[in-house]
Amino acid sequence: MFSGWLIPALVAALLWGIVGILQKLGSNRINASSLLAWVMAGYILALPLFWQGSGLSSLTQKDLFWGILAGAANGCGTWFLFAALERGANASVAVPLTALYPTVTVAFAYFILRERLAFLDWIGVALALSAGAMLSYEPEARSTAVGFGTET
Amino acid sequence: MRTSKWLWFALTALFWWGVWGFLAKVGSDRMNPRALQILFVVGMLPPLLLALAKVRFAVQTDRAGIVYGILNGVLATFGMLAFYAAMARGKASLVAPLTALFPLFTVVGAVLLLKEKLNRVQVLGLAMAVIAVVIFAR
Repeated sequence: MFSGWLIPALVAALLWGIVGILQKLGSNRINASSLLAWVMAGYILALPLFWQGSGLSSLTQKDLFWGILAGAANGCGTWFLFAALERGANASVAVPLTALYPTVTVAFAYFILRERLAFLDWIGVALALSAGAMLSYEPEARSTAVGFGTET
Repeated sequence: MRTSKWLWFALTALFWWGVWGFLAKVGSDRMNPRALQILFVVGMLPPLLLALAKVRFAVQTDRAGIVYGILNGVLATFGMLAFYAAMARGKASLVAPLTALFPLFTVVGAVLLLKEKLNRVQVLGLAMAVIAVVIFAR
């Protein structure tokens, strides 16, 4: 039943879900860009916890490139969501729309990594993608999304 | 025109986050979650600093806001580590959609803790999310 990836994936979703609640609470107190700044501070403050055992020094330049690029891609996503909201995006449309981001991941995994799924898994992927967008739908959503792991 | 412009930006956000999911898989296959998280933060900072530069680094300092923000970053970090661990063990095309179900927990928490009410779209989404998890867990 529970294969190796499912539990950590659910733990990630649970933690990011709690993050969503904190984001709601935080955005009641400060504006979106301020919240973004403090979220970044949290990311940086947590870093020393992982220094030990990271094996960072043994990585190749290629490894470093891919890792940093992953962060840059995520940051660019946040930048563009901010830019969309700044240009008067309707958050109740923009946020559920961006929740569809795994479609791009699935496409890259299919064409570049040659991942193949069982038919039932495709159904699960379709349901999960739709569900993610639907759960993020709030008719009167405020423009407070501050990026991945913090959008609601 | 105005609508199409922000829509374009929102779609670009969607694209980059999707690329991030893919690169998280590439990174997870090459290094442990700790190393990937450190590199991730290094890569993420420049675009976020640019976003803050646009508002001239005007950062509000409400104490509760700061606590929520920092906790937000720390918990998101632990979420990232679990995400990378899942990516290292599973297919990106399953891990990305499942982890993107995180609003499920936000919505449930908001109902329980913040006494928010679900709308019909969210109720349907919740049911679909549960079915998706059952399918992945079979």
